Amino acid sequence: MSMIRVEHLSRDYGGGKGVFDVSFSIRQGETFGFLGPNGAGKTTTIRHLMGFLRPQSGKCFINDMDCWEKRDRIQSDLGYVPGEISFFDDMTGTEYLSFMEKYRRIGSDSRKKELLDFFELDPAGRIKKMSKGMKQKLGLVSAMMHDPQILIFDEPTSGLDPLMQSKFVELVNHEREQGKTILMSSHMFEEVERTCDHVGIIRSGRMIAVETVEALRERHVRAYTVTLSDPATARAFAKDFGGKQDDCRVTVSTRQSLEEIFMSYYGGEKDA
Amino acid sequence: MLNATLYLRGMKRSVKLLIVLCAVTTMYVWIIISMFEPQMAKMLDGYVDLMPELMSSMGMVAGATTLIGFICSYLYGFVLLVIPMLFCIIEGNALVAKQVDDNSMTSLLAAPLKRRTIILTQLCVMISGILIIDIYTTVLELICANHYFPGELDAGELLLLNVGLLALHLFIGGVCFTASCLFSEVKYSLAFGAGIPILMFVLKMLANMGGNAENVKYATFFSLFQPNEIAAGDHGALVCVAVMFVGAILLYGAGCTVFCKKDLHI
Repeated sequence: MSMIRVEHLSRDYGGGKGVFDVSFSIRQGETFGFLGPNGAGKTTTIRHLMGFLRPQSGKCFINDMDCWEKRDRIQSDLGYVPGEISFFDDMTGTEYLSFMEKYRRIGSDSRKKELLDFFELDPAGRIKKMSKGMKQKLGLVSAMMHDPQILIFDEPTSGLDPLMQSKFVELVNHEREQGKTILMSSHMFEEVERTCDHVGIIRSGRMIAVETVEALRERHVRAYTVTLSDPATARAFAKDFGGKQDDCRVTVSTRQSLEEIFMSYYGGEKDA
Repeated sequence: MLNATLYLRGMKRSVKLLIVLCAVTTMYVWIIISMFEPQMAKMLDGYVDLMPELMSSMGMVAGATTLIGFICSYLYGFVLLVIPMLFCIIEGNALVAKQVDDNSMTSLLAAPLKRRTIILTQLCVMISGILIIDIYTTVLELICANHYFPGELDAGELLLLNVGLLALHLFIGGVCFTASCLFSEVKYSLAFGAGIPILMFVLKMLANMGGNAENVKYATFFSLFQPNEIAAGDHGALVCVAVMFVGAILLYGAGCTVFCKKDLHI
């Protein structure tokens, strides 16, 4: 069953900006990486899913509910971390979290403490004085403390240091094991590769590929067979380059990183 | 329908502003009422004779012989209009447009609440603030008048006058709130939400100066508030009060509807 469904979504901002006829769907329990450069339409698509924007044409659904009509009901089981995170600056982190708990009417089953421990975050200070990374962690805690089944992260790891980035990957993998449906947009190919099973690539407002991470990799595997002077050299060569040895011949394959795959979609012609 | 947590947060945030504005109001009301003396009234009338344009632009006219006439002239022409107007402008902008502009509205919308609940709660914060200012002013005036001139001020007349004042403040609040709902950027919200009431007030001051400028009074909604006539229970003046109340309701309704339907780029 598809948990998140976008059907022919279009919003034209003029001057080639916007999203055009975007369609994809994410099944329950799937982790979907939404890749694209700045201004490609990732955030615009997410704003439609959140019910902030009404589609000019097309529709989107979460849990079979229309994202614009039923936005308040959808939100009860959804956690969202915006790309440009902004809280009430006059509050401390602690005040903000307890405000959100009461505002959302999260009872005693709040995961706040568990998440704060996980991210090693002390939310006592004023939000205004927090670093970007701390704000990002605060946003993640706030988005997940009601234990939603659907998670939407808009560039969740920007501002986190590498250690926290792997911590985040760990968290996503843990949530995925719990059967959560996750949509995350990202510039970080490595993190998408490590966390997602499906990838959608968007460019200039149009989806140019929706595939599994595996399929994407497979399509970009290249194999080479080299012949060496004697079996001993061949064995050493195979060992060093991870190839398959057959007497004097060694077959090595290279996998393009997701980044290179990505560049093959973007590189070259500017408009298409 | 409403969210108690959000309401309490809004009230807590506006407390500081309310205290400052009420303090300023207290100072003015206390001084002006204590000044009501035939002797002092004569002195103020002397100022009016000396510089009629300036005094009347502030809504101050000569010949206020009763206490209610005196305060209508010296309080309800400027101080009690401008201070609550300041509140409407600041609060109206802060409750909606500012939070959309700085993205903090995202936290409120990414929750299982209808936009209607959010905007009605914000509206309640605004109206509560206006009510607090006006009720405080009324009580203050009664205490003050009772302290200096027991039996001089008719409580009924004052109450009627302040219902009229409340209607005006709610209407100004309506302009600010609707502008705040309409625009997603603070600069536009303030251009209209502060610009319109201030322009209208300047026009009122112009019209007060009399002469050729008097016709300007038809161009400003402040003319709907006629303190002397309201206190006297004049029919036409009370109809104007009703018009302001209805206008305020329509403005709030429009603002909320716009907010519920509009695209939010947050």
